[in-house]
Amino acid sequence: MKNRLKVLRAERNWTQAELADALDVSRQTVNAIETGKFDPSLPLAFRAARLFGMPIEEIFHDPALDADGSSPVTEIRKDTYV
Amino acid sequence: MNQLKLQENGYQSRIRTSSMRLARWNGAWVAASALMAFGPKFIWNKDVLFTLLAVGLNVAVGVSLILASKKYVEELDELQRKVYFNALAITVGVAIVAGIPYSVLNTYGVLPFHADVGHLVILMGLTFWVAHQYGTRRYR
Repeated sequence: MKNRLKVLRAERNWTQAELADALDVSRQTVNAIETGKFDPSLPLAFRAARLFGMPIEEIFHDPALDADGSSPVTEIRKDTYV
Repeated sequence: MNQLKLQENGYQSRIRTSSMRLARWNGAWVAASALMAFGPKFIWNKDVLFTLLAVGLNVAVGVSLILASKKYVEELDELQRKVYFNALAITVGVAIVAGIPYSVLNTYGVLPFHADVGHLVILMGLTFWVAHQYGTRRYR
């Protein structure tokens, strides 16, 4: 899962430590999420969304989704069930 | 620039408190174990009552150590908990895989020395430390 956490943080001039404190996690966790090494849980993703005041899908993005927002996986499943 | 308000009782502060509590109970358990192991021979001349009291103290401190450890894990954030559980899983695996052959070798007198459960505890401690360090570096 890709995310815009680093960009959003930089726009606000927050350090990783400050963001970690606001999200109630360690700085290592913020760093691991920003570098894509670790995917956050849904509650943590919602906390980030609340903190930045934007919808969760504007911060976290599934690379499997196409540019138009449709998922090739979902399309295949639809065909299978028809 | 949006200023973030730092939390008074934030994650770092809570984990520091929790780590200190765990370290204190670890120390107490090591001391209680030493008393239980060496007390009968060196302090109270194998008096049964004192030995039973030392065993009771060791179990009581051990239970407190387990509770402190549980509390510590509950305080960890999700990534650190994942690292901790991965290290724990490797430790349990190594203990089983190494412990059973070690016991068999001891049973059939293959080992040139007396096998002791302490060796397994040391192996588990070292394995956990290495696995935890590896996990921490992996996500750094």
